[in-house]
Amino acid sequence: MNFLDGLLILSLLSVIVTGFAQKLRSAGWLSSVLLGLQCLLLMGMAGLAYGSPAVSSSFSVSVLGQPLHWQFNALSWFFALITLASALASSVYAAGAWGEDYRLQGGNPGLLQFALNLNVFAMLLLLASGDLLSLFVGWELVSWASLLMMVLAGGAAGRFGLRYIVYATAGAMAVMTGLVMIFQLTGSFQFADFAAIAPSLSNAQVVTFTLLFVFGFGVKMGLLPFHLWQADAYAETPGPGAAFLGAISSRMGLFAMLILVIQLIGLGRLINIEVPYSFFSLRDVLMWVAAFTIIFPTFTAMRQNDARLLLAWHGIGQGGYMLMGLLMVNPLGSAGGLMHVFNYASYQAVLFLVVTAVIYRTRTADLNQLGGLVTRMPLSFLMMLICIIGLAGIPPMNGFVSKWLIYRSLIVEGMPLLFVASVVGTLGTILSVYKLIHNTFLGQLRLEHEQIREVPWSMMIPMLILSAVVFITGFLPGIVLDWVASAQAALGIPVLEHTLGGVESPSGNLDMIWICSVLFGGFAVGALVFYSGNKSRRVHQLDNYAGGHFLTADDRYHYSNNFYAGLMHHIGHWYRGTFQWLESSLGSAISLLSAATQMLFNSFHPALFLLLAATLSLLFFAG
Amino acid sequence: MNETLLTILEVIFMPVVAFVIGLFMVLMMRKLAARLQRRVGPPLMQPFYDVIKLYGKQTQISHGLIHDIGIIMAVGGYVAAESLLPVPGMDGIADKGGIVMLAYLTMIPSLGLALGVGQCANPNGSIGISRALTSMLAYDIPYIIVIFGVAYHFGSTNLIDIIDTQQAGGVATWGISEMPVLAIAGLFALHASLGKQPFEIYIAPAEIATGPMVEMGGKYLGGLFVMQSFQLYTASVLYVSLFLGGGENWITFLLKCFAVLAIPIIIAYLFPRYRTEDLVRLVWKWPVMLALIGVAFVMT
Repeated sequence: MNFLDGLLILSLLSVIVTGFAQKLRSAGWLSSVLLGLQCLLLMGMAGLAYGSPAVSSSFSVSVLGQPLHWQFNALSWFFALITLASALASSVYAAGAWGEDYRLQGGNPGLLQFALNLNVFAMLLLLASGDLLSLFVGWELVSWASLLMMVLAGGAAGRFGLRYIVYATAGAMAVMTGLVMIFQLTGSFQFADFAAIAPSLSNAQVVTFTLLFVFGFGVKMGLLPFHLWQADAYAETPGPGAAFLGAISSRMGLFAMLILVIQLIGLGRLINIEVPYSFFSLRDVLMWVAAFTIIFPTFTAMRQNDARLLLAWHGIGQGGYMLMGLLMVNPLGSAGGLMHVFNYASYQAVLFLVVTAVIYRTRTADLNQLGGLVTRMPLSFLMMLICIIGLAGIPPMNGFVSKWLIYRSLIVEGMPLLFVASVVGTLGTILSVYKLIHNTFLGQLRLEHEQIREVPWSMMIPMLILSAVVFITGFLPGIVLDWVASAQAALGIPVLEHTLGGVESPSGNLDMIWICSVLFGGFAVGALVFYSGNKSRRVHQLDNYAGGHFLTADDRYHYSNNFYAGLMHHIGHWYRGTFQWLESSLGSAISLLSAATQMLFNSFHPALFLLLAATLSLLFFAG
Repeated sequence: MNETLLTILEVIFMPVVAFVIGLFMVLMMRKLAARLQRRVGPPLMQPFYDVIKLYGKQTQISHGLIHDIGIIMAVGGYVAAESLLPVPGMDGIADKGGIVMLAYLTMIPSLGLALGVGQCANPNGSIGISRALTSMLAYDIPYIIVIFGVAYHFGSTNLIDIIDTQQAGGVATWGISEMPVLAIAGLFALHASLGKQPFEIYIAPAEIATGPMVEMGGKYLGGLFVMQSFQLYTASVLYVSLFLGGGENWITFLLKCFAVLAIPIIIAYLFPRYRTEDLVRLVWKWPVMLALIGVAFVMT
């Protein structure tokens, strides 16, 4: 029995325990302790991230003569770390005051904790998969577990959950088709057997497998054009659950795609396949899918008026960066992509938690109903500030480092248009997150919010710790880059040479230790200059310039709606809702088809059809 | 150890130099404006007096802590960014970041300003920031294409290498001779980034009461003044480093910097102001097109 066995058993036990202890008042803390123990067990395997060989589980099951087994390597460890850390943070957040409040609102915090543990177990099982069959089992579990989380809130959430499961089922069908095709080729579900025949696959086969797996797993990631389900479903999930799903759940798609497309099929094959009548290779096509996944959802996020939706749309967009980075041959890009998974999870979780904190105090996430909360919830403001800097990819936070790696590799590989696309995404993110923090925390404080206070410590501590991670891994990116490099080695792709402060390469270095130190030095100088001026006097927010008018307490003096009006004059008509239209027309086409079939069946004699079907199936089985 | 000490000294010294040069750039801007409008213009030391006056004012109005911190970030961010821009004799920490880093580091002052203005709770200011961020979205796209082209051409994102290559090969290897189309696009983007007419959409005194500056007075306005002088310096030095071979010595360096800056300033005072969407349309069309053509030339 090794650490992996322990981890999987404990995780399963946690699911069972939290399942039975739902009604307990202390169910939340119990779940947090169990998740904490799982983190400890994961730490026991930390050697994996520093070059230890993969750990195999001692369990194995055989299904129809096909063995299923589980193992952990550096890549699984890396993803598992993100999973467990974000689950733990969400669990602690939900265990205290928030859980009580949720119960009072009519929710069941115990069920939320159970769903959290179920998701963690499913994800660990997927991450530990040692063959294609266990991968598929893990994949399905993850899909259904996240459905449970999404529909917890009931109401509209149920509808969005249903939409998700339609997409997820279609994806699972594609994955299963791919796996069956692999089985026909190799007669086994072992990774090694598929990897062995991968070089001898014909181009057509490679294209088929790539498309099947990119579609199947890409649905979960929200790759364009299969992204429509995600934002609504995540936004409707209860706060801490949304933080967890938003941080890591979609990345399971990336993980599975990495194993099948990057590790087993290999980027080299994708680069060598030319798309007919174009300059593109198959890899380029996928990179453009990633680029559009960055741009469209980001600019959709900019137009949202609900903070949760805004974040959820950004979550889709950020996935594009990860895929884009991982599709690059040079180690800078793939390291950037992998590191972005970690960085993104750290700040996205906090952002969802901060928004949940705002909802906890004000009962709304409507960006037109808030404002000025910085004076009432200063710590929450600080957490959001740190994390939007991370999300926007501006130094000194960790999001900058991973994006820098991706930009650098795009320059090295000579891809100007993709470079521009990724920067456009970043700029759009900056606009969008400023709107988020401005409409929530800055501007005029509303009369009804004058009495609210900062959130309790049980909610604040997880946010504080995760924001510290956002900052520290920006200051010392080498910590994460160590893990990333081991994950690269586990994937069998080139490994990034790095230092504690960043990257040293002949064509341009990055040393975040120096940069951050100088930046904070600069702030110190700025502060010195500022405070050397005459002392300032604090005035009330209504003591403002208003064109000669005097403001009173009932004047709303806050700019929030249609925040980027000037920009929307120009690009507003580019938002055509094409994907919505595509989705609904596909839906209409299917219902039309089924109606037509039903009509055909009803208007003729049903018995004839039965006879026909029976004859055909007899012929099929007899022949 | 000695090297580290030297770097630290340079990091301290470079912003001071930048500040002084930046103030003279403000002076040049005012002088040019005055001459174009047939006025005499301010005396030599006027920008210094202005800074001292603003910081020393009796009435200093704060709208809260974030208002203060925003101004600190606006000035401090530029103080830090200057150490990434090599000048003759001093490289600072330019080899630890490169141009991509510089492009993103110079967003910190803007972010600081945006936060500070947001705290003021004045819609005029917020509209100004919305416009400023929109114009950033506009001009940063050609700007980043230019950076891509230059980095690809020189095979490095390190400004020291870029300057050394140009200086070793003489005028024929300067960015402007090798990549003239990119240089034009770069100048266009530089102009838009300065927020001067006709791209002055976020100040717009007649519409939104000077936008971000509406609640700023005293040392808050002084901070913005300092920020502007740093901004002029950063933009022109970066342009000189990318396209005009950087500074061989201080004399040619300053000549180039002031000459580069004079172009957008003269244009600015000859033209009226655009609307936000006109700016986005114009900048996304011409400089982006030029920059892409420039990159195509560089890459073939």
